[in-house]
Amino acid sequence: MLSYILRRIVATLPVMAIVALFVFSLLYIAPGDPAVVIAGDQASPEDVERIRQSLGLDRPFLVQFGGWVWRILHGDLGTSIFTNLPVSAMIGQRLGPTLSLMIVTLLLTIVVAVPLGVVAAWKAGSLIDRVIMGFAVFGFSLPVFVVGYMLAYIFALELEWLPVQGYTPLTQGFWPWLENLILPAIALGCVYIALVARITRAAMLEVLQQDYIRTARAKGLGQGGILFIHALKNAAVPIVTVIGIGIALLIGGAVVTESVFAIPGLGRLTIDAILRRDYPVIQGIVLLFSFVYVLVNLMIDVIYTLVDPRIRY
Amino acid sequence: MDRRTVLKGLAGAGGLALTGLSAPAIAQGASARTLRFVPQANLANFDPIWGTQYVVRNAAALVWDTLYGIDSSLQPQRQMVESEETSDDGKTWTFKLRPGLKFHDGEPVLSKDVVASLSRWAARDPMGLMILANQQELTVVDDRTFKWVLKQPFPKMLYALAKNNAPCSFVMPERIAKTDPFKQITEYVGSGPMKFAKGEWVPGAKAVFEKFADYVPRQEKASWLAGGKQILVDRVEWIVMPDPATAAAALQNGEVDWWENPIADLVPVLKKNKNISVDIGDPLGNIGSFRMNHLFAPFNDVRARRAVLMAMSQEDYMRAIVGDDNALWKALPGFFTPDTPLYSELGGEILKGKRDLDAAKKLLAESGYSGQPVTCLVAQDQPITKAQGDVTADLLKRLGMNVDFVATDWGTVGSRRAAKTPPGQGGWNMFHSWHAGADCITPAAYTAIRANGEKAWFGWPNSPNTEKEITTWFDAKNIEEEKAAIGRVNKAALEDVVYAPTGFFLTYTAWRKNVSGITKGPLPFFWGVSKSA
Repeated sequence: MLSYILRRIVATLPVMAIVALFVFSLLYIAPGDPAVVIAGDQASPEDVERIRQSLGLDRPFLVQFGGWVWRILHGDLGTSIFTNLPVSAMIGQRLGPTLSLMIVTLLLTIVVAVPLGVVAAWKAGSLIDRVIMGFAVFGFSLPVFVVGYMLAYIFALELEWLPVQGYTPLTQGFWPWLENLILPAIALGCVYIALVARITRAAMLEVLQQDYIRTARAKGLGQGGILFIHALKNAAVPIVTVIGIGIALLIGGAVVTESVFAIPGLGRLTIDAILRRDYPVIQGIVLLFSFVYVLVNLMIDVIYTLVDPRIRY
Repeated sequence: MDRRTVLKGLAGAGGLALTGLSAPAIAQGASARTLRFVPQANLANFDPIWGTQYVVRNAAALVWDTLYGIDSSLQPQRQMVESEETSDDGKTWTFKLRPGLKFHDGEPVLSKDVVASLSRWAARDPMGLMILANQQELTVVDDRTFKWVLKQPFPKMLYALAKNNAPCSFVMPERIAKTDPFKQITEYVGSGPMKFAKGEWVPGAKAVFEKFADYVPRQEKASWLAGGKQILVDRVEWIVMPDPATAAAALQNGEVDWWENPIADLVPVLKKNKNISVDIGDPLGNIGSFRMNHLFAPFNDVRARRAVLMAMSQEDYMRAIVGDDNALWKALPGFFTPDTPLYSELGGEILKGKRDLDAAKKLLAESGYSGQPVTCLVAQDQPITKAQGDVTADLLKRLGMNVDFVATDWGTVGSRRAAKTPPGQGGWNMFHSWHAGADCITPAAYTAIRANGEKAWFGWPNSPNTEKEITTWFDAKNIEEEKAAIGRVNKAALEDVVYAPTGFFLTYTAWRKNVSGITKGPLPFFWGVSKSA
C-alpha cells in the first residue's frame, strides 16, 4: 500500500506539470493585460508599455514559462504582479478560511446527508422518502448565491443570530470561528447534501435487497444495526466516491460562497487574480488545486480498501 | 438574552471544551475606537505613484502627506509646507517645510525626502511631466528648504502639488522614493495621520490603518486634503466586500460602519433603516463617456461623430446608470464638472434639446457610412460601463448602424482599447468609461479631454483647436482668463467630438448613525470622523 501511495504521489508531478503548462498557455493567449489594469484608466499607452516591460510581460512565451518553471523547481511560486507579495504567502493567508469552510461543509454534509439517505432508503416509497428526496431536488436546484442571500436575510438581518460576513481564525476562539462559517457552510452544502443523500439512498436500496440483509433480518438483528453496520458499510464505496468528487464541487462553490459572505479565502483570491490577470497568483492557485484534487482521489482510493477488503492495489 | 447570545454561550462552552481556546476578551469601548469601512474597491497594491487607482489614492491619503492640499473650494492650501516664495520672473520656487514633521519610523521629514518624492511623482503624473519638461533643477537648500527652478514660469505649480487626482505628490522617505517609478515600493512609511499595518494586510479582503501618535496636524480647520487632519479613532479597518448585497446587509447589521459607495438599487433599503444615514458622497460626481476611435471609419469622419451626438439622449444613459432617482444625475452639455468655477456650456447646443434622429441619420449618410460593422467594446463586469454599452448599442441600431457588440471583461477592454489596429483586426470603434468629476474641473489632470492625436488618450482624437485652448488655460494668469479659455476648450472639443459625454452622475455614501463627521468630497476623508459605542 505504501509503495502504491508513493507511486501515486510521484505520478501527480507530471499531471501538475501538464496542468501548469495548460493554464500558463491559456492565460498567455487570453486577451487582457495586467499592465493595463495596474496603470489605471487614465494611463497613456507609453505608461502601460513601461509597466509591461518592468513586469517582464513583453518577453516571449517560452522565456516566461521557463522562468516560472525554474522558480517552481526552487520552491518559489513567484510574486504577485499587483501586490508585490510572494504568491505562497498570499495563498497561505487565504488557505485557512477556505479549508475551514470546506471542513465545516464536509462535516455538515456527512452528518446530514448520509442519515437522510439511509432513512429515505429504509422508508423507500413512503411519504418520508418523498419529502427527503423532494428537499434533495430543491437543494440541488437552488444556486449557492440564492441560498446564501436567503440565509443571510433570515438568520443575520431578521433574527440577528449570526453575522452576515467575514472570517475569524480559530485561534481567536471556537465560537467566533464557527459563527462566521455556519451560514456559508449551509449555503455551500445544500447542493452537496442533496447529491450525497441521493447517492446514499440509491446505494442503500441496492444493498438492502441483498440476501445477507434478509438473513440478518431473519436472525432478528435490530433495524439500526442492519442499516448502519451491515448495509451502510457495504454501500459506502459509491458514497465515499461522491463525497470525494464533491470536494471539487466545494472548491468551485467556495468561489461564489466566499464572495457572498465576504470570506477572504482562496476562491475570492482566484476570482480577483483572474479579473486582474495576476498570472503568478492564478498559476499558484491552479497548482495547489490540482495537487489537492489528486490527493483527494488518492485518499478515496485508500478509503476504498478500508471499507471493502476485496479491493487491493 | 437573545438567541444569538445563547448560541454564543453554548458554542463558546463547547468550543472551550473541544479546543481549549477561548474568545479573547474585548476591551470595553474598543469597538467604538475602530472604524470599519467598506471601500469602493480592493486595495490590491499600495504604491500611490506606481498605479493610479482611486482606491490606492484614497488609502494613501491616510498614510502619506502632501506639500499642499486641495480644499473644498478647490484651492491649494499649505499642508507640509510652512511657506513658499516665487522669484520675480516666476521661474524659481523656494519651499520651506513645517518644523517637527516626522515619518512613521520616527525619522524627521527632510528636504532630500521631498526632492526624491517629487522626482518619482513627476515621472508618472501628467502635470509632473509638464514640470519635468520645464525643469532646470530641483535641489535641496537645507534640511527644511528646497528649490525648484524652471525654464519658463508655470502658474499652476501649487495646484499640481495640491491636486487630488492620482497620482498625488505624496512625500516618502528618500530611500523609498528612490524606487523606480515603474516598480512598486515595498515599504509603506509615510508622515500622514495614520500608519499602515502591513502585517494585517490581506490584499483583496482587509487593510488596517492605525493612528500615528506623532502626527502634528495643522491648526486650520480640516477641509478636504487641507487643514488639520485630526484622527479621532484608533484604527480604521478597510473591509473589502465584492458583493454589494453583503455590504448592505453588513451595514444594516452593524458589522461595518461606513460603506463608501452603495449601489443605487440598494439605497432605498438603506434609507429605510433608522440606524443608517445616506447622502451624496462626492459632490463633484462623475462624467460618463464613450469614446469613438478617430483613426478608423466611420468615426474618423467628424460628421459620423456629430451624428451620434445629435441622436444620443443623456437621460437614457443616466437612467441606465442611476435608475429613477432624479437627484443623482443631470444633463451635461460639455465636458467639465458642473457647479465648479470653470464650468462652461459654450458650444453645447448639439447635446441640448430634442434629439433629432432623422437629421443624425442624414449626417451619418453624408459621412459615407455604408453599413460596415461598428465594434463596440463593453466591460460587463463594470456596471457603469455595461449600462452605457447597452444604451449605445440601442442608439447605434436606431441610427441604422451595424453594431458588433463585444461583451467582455474590463481586463480585456482595457487591453484592447490600446490597439491601434483596424476594428476588424483586433481594434475597436467605441468603448465606454467614466471620469471622476474631480479630474474634470480643469484640463490639468483631464487626460480624456486631450486631443493631441497619437499622444492623446484612447481614441486618439486630433483637435488642434482644443489643444490650443488647453495651452491657453495653462498660461492663464487669473480666473477670468481661465474661464474664457475653458469655454473655448469646451466648444472646440464638442465641435470635433473629442469624446461623447453621456451625462453627470452622483453616487451615495452610507454610514451608521453612531458615526459622525463624514464630509462630502472627492475621496473619503477620515479626519474628523468619530464613532460612539
